[in-house]
Amino acid sequence: MTTQLADADFAKTDGVSPGPTAREGVDPAFWDGRIHSYRPAHDWLGRVASKLELDSDAVAELDPITFEVIRNRLWTINLAHGETLTRISGSPVFQALDFNMCIMTERGEIAMNAPYLQCLVAGAPLAIRFIMEKFSADPGIEDGDIFLATDPWIGAVHQMDVLIASPVFIDGRLFAWVTNAGHQYDRGGITPGGWPQNAPDVYSDPTIFRPFKIVERGVVRRDLEEMYLRQSRVPDLLALDLRAQIAGCRFAVQQMRELCDQFGPDVVKATMRRVLDNAQLSMQDKLRRIPDGRWSEVRYFDELMPGHRDTYRMQVNITKEGDRIIIDNEGTDRQVSGPLNFVYAAFSGQFLGVVAVTMLYEQMFSIGGAERQIDFCPTPGLLTCADYPAAVSGGVQNVVIHTNAFMNVIARMLACDPELKSDVLASGAGFPLLVLAGSDDRGNYFGTGLMDAVSTGSGGRSTRDGVDTGGATWSPLMKMINVEDTEQFYPILYLYRQELEDSGGAGRYRGGVGMKFAFTPYRAREISAITNTGGQIASTFSAMGLFGGLPSPTCHNIVRKGTNLTEMFAARRMPAAIAELSSTQDILLRGKSNGTPLEPGDVMESTFCGGGGYGDPLLREAEMVARDVLLGYVSVDVARDVYGTVLRADGAPDVAATRSLRSAIRAERSRWRPAGATSDCERRPNGFTRATGAPPASVHEYIVARDEGDQRVLACAHCSHVLSDYAGNYKEGLLEHSGPVTQIPGVKDPVVFLDEEMRFRRYCCPGCQTLMTMDVVRADEPVLCDMRLTEPGAA
Amino acid sequence: MGYVIGVDIGGTFTDCVVIDDAGRVTIGKASSTPPDFQTGFVESLRVVAQRLGLTLDRLIAATKGVYHGCTVGTNALVENRTAKVGLLTTRGHRDVLFGMQGGARLVGLPPETIAHVAAHYKPEPLVPKTMVGEIDERVAFDGKVLVELDEEGCRAEIRRLHAAGAEAFAVSLLWAVANPAHERRVRELIEECVPGMFVSVSSEVIARNGEYERTVATVINSLTGPAMTDYLSALEADLKKIGYHDTLNIMTCTGGLIDSASARALPVLTIGSGPVAGLIGAGALSQVVGKGGKGRGAAVITGDMGGTTFDVGVIRDGEPLHRSTTRHGMYEYFVPTLDVRSVGSGGGSIIHFDEEMRTLRVGPRSAGARPGPVAFGRGGVEPTVTDANLVLGCLNPDFFLGGAIKLDLAGARAALARVGAPLGFSAEEAAAAALRIVDNQMADAIRLASVQQGYDPRDFSLYAYGGAGPVHAMALARELGIKEVIMPLSDLAAGWSAFGIASSDAVVVEEFPHLLEYPFDPEALNRGWSMLEEAAARRMAVQGIGRDQIIWERTADIRYTMQINEVPVRAPNGTYGKEQADELVARFESDYERLYGQGSGYAAAGITMTAQRVLARANVSDFTLAPKVDPAKGAPRLKGHRDVIWYEHGVKPEKTPIYDGDGFGAGGAVTGPAIVEFGVTTLVLRHGQKASVDDFGSVTITA
Repeated sequence: MTTQLADADFAKTDGVSPGPTAREGVDPAFWDGRIHSYRPAHDWLGRVASKLELDSDAVAELDPITFEVIRNRLWTINLAHGETLTRISGSPVFQALDFNMCIMTERGEIAMNAPYLQCLVAGAPLAIRFIMEKFSADPGIEDGDIFLATDPWIGAVHQMDVLIASPVFIDGRLFAWVTNAGHQYDRGGITPGGWPQNAPDVYSDPTIFRPFKIVERGVVRRDLEEMYLRQSRVPDLLALDLRAQIAGCRFAVQQMRELCDQFGPDVVKATMRRVLDNAQLSMQDKLRRIPDGRWSEVRYFDELMPGHRDTYRMQVNITKEGDRIIIDNEGTDRQVSGPLNFVYAAFSGQFLGVVAVTMLYEQMFSIGGAERQIDFCPTPGLLTCADYPAAVSGGVQNVVIHTNAFMNVIARMLACDPELKSDVLASGAGFPLLVLAGSDDRGNYFGTGLMDAVSTGSGGRSTRDGVDTGGATWSPLMKMINVEDTEQFYPILYLYRQELEDSGGAGRYRGGVGMKFAFTPYRAREISAITNTGGQIASTFSAMGLFGGLPSPTCHNIVRKGTNLTEMFAARRMPAAIAELSSTQDILLRGKSNGTPLEPGDVMESTFCGGGGYGDPLLREAEMVARDVLLGYVSVDVARDVYGTVLRADGAPDVAATRSLRSAIRAERSRWRPAGATSDCERRPNGFTRATGAPPASVHEYIVARDEGDQRVLACAHCSHVLSDYAGNYKEGLLEHSGPVTQIPGVKDPVVFLDEEMRFRRYCCPGCQTLMTMDVVRADEPVLCDMRLTEPGAA
Repeated sequence: MGYVIGVDIGGTFTDCVVIDDAGRVTIGKASSTPPDFQTGFVESLRVVAQRLGLTLDRLIAATKGVYHGCTVGTNALVENRTAKVGLLTTRGHRDVLFGMQGGARLVGLPPETIAHVAAHYKPEPLVPKTMVGEIDERVAFDGKVLVELDEEGCRAEIRRLHAAGAEAFAVSLLWAVANPAHERRVRELIEECVPGMFVSVSSEVIARNGEYERTVATVINSLTGPAMTDYLSALEADLKKIGYHDTLNIMTCTGGLIDSASARALPVLTIGSGPVAGLIGAGALSQVVGKGGKGRGAAVITGDMGGTTFDVGVIRDGEPLHRSTTRHGMYEYFVPTLDVRSVGSGGGSIIHFDEEMRTLRVGPRSAGARPGPVAFGRGGVEPTVTDANLVLGCLNPDFFLGGAIKLDLAGARAALARVGAPLGFSAEEAAAAALRIVDNQMADAIRLASVQQGYDPRDFSLYAYGGAGPVHAMALARELGIKEVIMPLSDLAAGWSAFGIASSDAVVVEEFPHLLEYPFDPEALNRGWSMLEEAAARRMAVQGIGRDQIIWERTADIRYTMQINEVPVRAPNGTYGKEQADELVARFESDYERLYGQGSGYAAAGITMTAQRVLARANVSDFTLAPKVDPAKGAPRLKGHRDVIWYEHGVKPEKTPIYDGDGFGAGGAVTGPAIVEFGVTTLVLRHGQKASVDDFGSVTITA
C-alpha cells in the first residue's frame, strides 16, 4: 500500500528513481544537499578551494605504542568534551546525553567518536565535507571559525540535532575537525518541542539552518546568534545549549593543539589514519568469517498524521559479499506528506551506529574506517531516505525503529559465525517520547520531553538475558533522570515508576524489561501532553525478537480524567496502578497526538517496553522462569502460556507438570500448517546448491548448513530435519502459525488504532517444533525472507 | 598536649604513626588481623610504643587523640560481607534502586566495555527486590504532605522484612529532604516493631534531592552499619582496656575526622577514606615544606599508585577539590567527598596483546596480590607493570620491599616476551612499550582531573606515593610538564595514610536544598546559614569541639535558572545583606567562566541557588612537623650500577647508578639517570632530573 502523495511533494524532484549507488560513484549533481541529501562524490576533495591548505602530513612509521597513547588521548578529549556539554547545558535532553562528538581528519573521516547517541555518527562527516566543498572559497574556512548547521539534507539526523563544527588549524593549515551534534529542545515549528507529528512537510518542522559561521575567527556573531534563538519558544534554554556546544568545541580544539605540540602533528595524523585503517581491517576480518548472503527485516510506520489509521512499510536489507556490505532500502514505501520520513544522514548513521556497538566495539566507537567497506545504496524518495521538502523532524522516532531493524539484521548475519554470535543481541524497543508543555502555578512556561524511556531494556542475547531497564543500546550511557529532579522542574507528581512485568520479549533468553510510570498535574496552571511514537510500538509490538524469541509488547499512554485521586490520598493510599483509580472518562492516546490537556485530578500512565527475546521460550530453564515470576519480570500467565512453565504454590517450578505442558505446546505446534511460498525473493528462486564437502556450519541459532547427499542444505540444528536448499528461504521448510497480534503477551487488538490487519506469524521446525523465527506483518504479506545465503561460487 | 596517633588498617598491614609535641614522627607496623581488626590496631600501638621506648600504658596516658582510618565498611562492601538490609520506599517507587540510572551506570568504564552492548549487565542488586517494602505516603517537592503516612501498613512491611531476615533497615522516601517527618516517623515505627535495629534514613544520611543517589547512599550506610558498629564497639572496648577513654576519631572521605558515634551512624562516610587521607597528608606536608605553594597558593596533584589502581587528587588554592557523588562499582551515590579519582593502572595491572587492535594494552584487569605479578612466583602467568619495571632494570630483584619478596626476573622476561611476540617485540621492547602506555594512561587520568576542571597541571607540584608511585611519577611529570615532584617523607611513605589521618582536622558537613531565585533574599540566606551552622556545631560538640574552635566554610550551589548542573560557589561568612548576596552571584559568574570559558555564561536565563552547605572544620591534632636533623646522612651511598632501559631513549640498556635511599639525607643530591632504592619503594629518576632531600626528609625532584 503506497500513499497518495500530493503532487507538490515531488514537484521539484525526479521522483523515486534511484540515484547512482556508491559503488557506481556518487553523482554530485544528484546528491547535492538540496532536493536529495548531500553525499560527497569520490572527487569531492578536488572542489575544495586551493586557498584552504590541508595539512595531510603523516609520518610513515608509527610505533604501536605511540599509537596506543595518542588514541587514548583522543578518547579522553572526546569524553571531556561531552562532560563540558552536560555541565553547561540546562536541557534535560542534554542531561540524558542526547548528543555525540567526533574528532575528524582534515578530510572529514572520523578518527574518534564518542560513546553517546550513535546514529549521529554519519552526520558530521557529511556536513564537514559539504562545508569544505561549498564554502572553502566563500566565505572561507578560517582558524577560530565555528560552524552551525541543522539541515537534515546535509548531515543532521533531524533539525533538532544541531551540529557545531570547528576546524583545527596547525600553522595555518587545516589539520582536523572537531564537532559535536546535540539535540536542542524547541527550535520552532508548529508544535512545542520539535517533533511535530502534524507536519505535512518541512515548512512546518523546526527551522532549517544551512551551515553558517556562528563564530567567526573566535568571536561569536551576536547578530546570527539572535537570529538563531529567535526561532524557539524557549530561547534562553537554547542559548545555554548553544553556549555549551560552542564551549565544548573550543575545548576540544585547544586539546588537539596541545596534542600536536607534544607529539608533532604528523604523528597525531598518523595515529588518526591508523585508527581508520584498524577499523577497516577489523571490519574486513569479521565479514570474511561470515558466509555471503542477504538479510532483511520489515517494519511498519503507523499513523501518517495524528489520528490517521494507516501504516507504511519499510525494509532494510544487507547484502554481504566477501569483505564488503551493501545496504539498501528496497521494499520501502515512498516518502509521505507527513512526519514519518527521515533522511540519508539518519539512514547511514544508524547503520554505522549499530556497527559500532556490535561488530566493532573494540574500536572505541571509532568506526570511520569501517565505512570504507560499506556501500550505502538507498533509493531516495522513500520513507527512509527522504527528499526535500518532506517533514523529517518528527520521524526521529522512526529512526529508532529503523536502528532496531538494523540491529536484528546485523544480529542474524553475525550469528552465522560461532564466535561473532557472542556479540549478538536482539533489538531494543522503540522510544515513546512524551512531551509536556504548559505553565506552572507561578506562571512559568515550560516544555520538555520526558526522557524516562531511555531506560528501556535491551534484547536477549545468545547466552544471557537482556538487561532490565539498562538503557538503549543505540546510546549506551543515557541517564534515567530522578523523579525528584523532574518534579522540581515541571509541575507534575509521579504516582509510580516501576519495572514493568512482561515488557521484555519472551525467549530462551528474555528481553530486558521496560517500565510504567504515572503522574498527575501538581501546582500546574495548564499542561498538555503530546505523544510521539515510531513504528508500530503503540499498535503491535515494541521490539522484535530473534530466532524464535518473542517481540516485546506495545507501549501505551492512557489518560484517566477526573479520578478519585484526592479521595485516595485523603484515605492515605498511594495508587500503585491506574486500575486502582476510578475516573469519569478514560482516553487511550494514539501513538501520535497533539496536545491532550491534563487537568487537576487527571492521571496519565505511560509505559515503555524492553527488548525482544532470543530463542524459543520453551527452552528456558524452568528455574529461571520461576525467578522471573518471583521478581515481577514475568507474569504467571506468560510463564504458563509462553514458557510452558507450571509453578507450584510456593513459586518453585513443578517439573513434571512443566514437562508435560511443554510437550503439549509442541504437539500443538506440530499441527501448524506448512509455510507458504515467498514471493519477495524473486532475485534468486529456490534452486539447487551442490554439496561442498565442507563440514556442517552453523548459520542461525537453530540452523546448520550441511551436505545432504549431493546437495548443500539448511537443516535444523536440533533434529537435523532438512528445511531448504542452502540458497533457499529456510522459512519455506517450516510450519507456520498466523494469528492475531494479541497473541503477543500484553498486546491489545490494534483495531483501535489501525485499519490494516496485522498478523503475528510464528515458524517452527516440523521435526522438533523448535520456534525458529517470527514476524509481525500485514495480512497480505507473503512469507518474508529474512535470510538468503548466496550459493558458494555464485557471487 | 600529648601524642597524636594515627592508625590506618590495610588488608595486609596496620600502620601507626605517632607525632609528639615537638613534631617528631614515629612509625609502627603490625600485621592486620581480620576479621578482628582491633587486635592488629592495638598491636601496632604496642610496636610504636616500643620504638618510643615507652610502655603501652605510658603512651596511651600521654596521648591526646587517636585518629583512625577504618576500612571495615569498604571491605565489607567490596567483599560482599554486608548486613541483609530491608529497604522502605514510597509506594510506587520500589524500583528506584534497580533502575540504576539506566545507561548512566556505565559512565567511567573502559570504552570497549561501554561499546560492547552484548556484554552489558547490571550488578547484583544491593538489596534483593523481595527485601524492599513500599509504604503509602507522599510528600511533594514543596514539602507538602499529600498522603499521610499509613502507619499500620508501614508496621506490616517492617514485620514482613524482619521476618524475611532483615538485619538492618534503610528508609528512603521521596522528597524526604523537603520534609523529613515521614522518614522520622518510620524510624520510630521500626524502633517500635523491632527494637535495636540499625536504621538509616535518607534525609539524615545525605540531605540532597535526587532519590536514586540518596537511596544508594542510605542503603550502603545500612549495609555497612552493623559491621561498623560491631567493629567500633570491640575497638573501643579494647582501647578502654589499655586505658584510652577519650574520643576515638574516624577518618571520612570528606577529608576530616568525625567521632566514632557519628561513624557508627554514618559509616558511608568512611568508605573511600583511605585515598582521601593520602591527599590530606599531601596537603599537610605541602604546608610545612612549601613545595607546591603554601596556604591559598598551594597547588598540588597527588598520584597514589598501588597494586591495582592509580588514585589522583587535586589541591588548588590550598584546598582539595570536592565532589558531590562517588561510585561503588556501577552504583553512584551522594556523599560529600574529596575528589579522588581512580583508574585501573597499578603495579599489578596486566599487560596483554590486543588481537583486534594489534597492539599492547595495559589493564584495567589486575593480577592483584594473588596471583600477583609473574615475578612474585605465586602462580601469576600474565605479565604486569611490576614485571615490566623489573625487566627494564628499574626494580631490583633482590631488594623489592627491602628484599622481603624475591623477584623472578627470568619468569617476568619470559612472560613479556610472550605478549610481545605477535608484534615481534623482545621482552625488553614489550616492557618498554607497556610502561609507556601505563604512564600515559596515568597522565590522562591526571589531565581529566585537572585540565577538565579548568586547571593546568603544569602549575602544580606532583606528590607521588604508594608502592609504585615514585617508580612512575618522574615519567608522568615529564609527560605532563610538571616541574616538581615530591616523594613525601621517604621513610614515612609506608605509613602515609596514617600520617594523613593524623594530620586531619575534624570536619562535618551540613547541607540542605534551598531553592532561591536571584536576587537572593539575604534573610532567607541567613536563616539557612544559621540553621546549618547550629546543626554542625552540635555535631562538633559531640567531639568535644567548642564553637570558638570551628572554622566555617560555606558553599552555595548556584546555576543559571534553566540549568540542571550547579557550580558550588564559596560563600562569604558572616551575616548577609544585599552586598554579600550579590557577591555570591559575582563569584558564581567568575567560577563559571573559569570552568567553561569566557562568554559562556548566560545571565539572561536568570540565576538560581539550589543548596546551602556549611563545612565546619577544627584543628584537632595541632602539631607542627619537626625538621629531621640527621647529620650522618647526606648524599646517598652508591650501591653499584645496573643496566637500565629508559624507554624514552629506546631499548638499549644504559649503565645506571643505583643508590641506597636509606642513607639519603638533607644536603645530598642525585642527578638522573639514577635509581634510589628505599625499603618501601623505588625512586626512578630520569635523565636530567635532580633529587634532593629537604629538612623534613622528603625527596624533591626537579624535572
